[in-house]
Amino acid sequence: MTRTLVQSIAAAILLCVAALHAEGLAQARSHDDDWLAPSKEAARMNPLVAHPDAARGGAKIFEQRCANCHGDEGRGTSKAPDLAHADVQAQTDGALFWKISTGNSHARMPSFSYLPELQRWQLVLHLRSLQP
Amino acid sequence: MSLRWFLVSLLAVLGAARAAHAQERPYFVTYDHYLEEPGNVEIAVANTTGVPRAEHAAYNAPWLEIEYGAAGWWTTELYLEGVTAGQDGSGFSGWRFENRFRLFKSEHRLNPVLYLEFEHVNEASRIQKEIVGSGALPFEPIDALRRDYANELEAKLILSSAIHGWNLSENVIFEKNLSESEGIEYGYSVGASRSLGGLASGRTCYVCAENFAIGVEAYGGLGSSLERTLSDTRHFIAPVLAWHVTPRSTLKVSPAFGLTDTSDRYLMRVGFVYELPMRWRR
Repeated sequence: MTRTLVQSIAAAILLCVAALHAEGLAQARSHDDDWLAPSKEAARMNPLVAHPDAARGGAKIFEQRCANCHGDEGRGTSKAPDLAHADVQAQTDGALFWKISTGNSHARMPSFSYLPELQRWQLVLHLRSLQP
Repeated sequence: MSLRWFLVSLLAVLGAARAAHAQERPYFVTYDHYLEEPGNVEIAVANTTGVPRAEHAAYNAPWLEIEYGAAGWWTTELYLEGVTAGQDGSGFSGWRFENRFRLFKSEHRLNPVLYLEFEHVNEASRIQKEIVGSGALPFEPIDALRRDYANELEAKLILSSAIHGWNLSENVIFEKNLSESEGIEYGYSVGASRSLGGLASGRTCYVCAENFAIGVEAYGGLGSSLERTLSDTRHFIAPVLAWHVTPRSTLKVSPAFGLTDTSDRYLMRVGFVYELPMRWRR
């Protein structure tokens, strides 16, 4: 029993070491110039563009899923970039939808393909409301 | 305090810590390709209740799970597990250290994730986070079973897809007991699930379709390199339901039905997952 406890504690310490190391990794914000939406995806139109009221739902999803890293107003944190920045706002709705859907594990952006497609488009609507 | 007030208070406390949460898969056994968000910590408590086929006592096998998003491509987890089986006794049944590595940068039609785990568990382990090999669970007094510890290495190839709102996941499992010569044991799990939501409403809601995910998973053993047969293998089919109670917490339930004589008659799994609030500053 004692041996088991010692091994459990050793595993916990190992986990903490990994966690501390990884927290350092996660602190650094990175930019991936190669992360570009395929042209076919970038050309997709937002089916909710005529339903601006759907942006309210997008704001709620943003607060639940995105604000943790991008900040409450989407202006970026030490972990993730400013979504109101011109580089982001210059991208097409389709490109933003593709990036939300597929993520980029090298730049610590999770993929949100588990969200229903309409909810991802709602997020795009909300992103458009972010002001620089 | 009435149950109603207790539940309202609980929701208020859990909901007070607002902000993002990662995808919590509705499955208990099957893994999909979504990893913990980098820097996030998630704590889960869960229990497997088993009802064996013969006259053996039913058991409860609780476990604690601490999950950390070490990087966008790496999630690491620690499990501590126990068991209680009525008059057969109770006790700690071991620990597991699990790592999942996402192999591709972005999402594809089929997304592979590599899973590696070291287990230090005894024969009393009943959580059945995976099922491999063949043969029924041993039913002896827990104290006797707990004397027999094994160090095991487990690898999984996780394949997962997002198709038309559905998640489809397939896991192939390989397990090697480092303490005994059992060869390599094989297992599988497959699952399909989807969110019940469409357009998200603009208001906060708790019991609404967008907060629920449903699905089904099937899992079982596939023999071993020493016993190339499917006889005496255990197999289950299990509907799954996940309720995202608040943006940070998920309640999961899954009854599982044994499909072979070797399998337990039923399993009932319940889990509660909570993501710790961690805010990043500019």
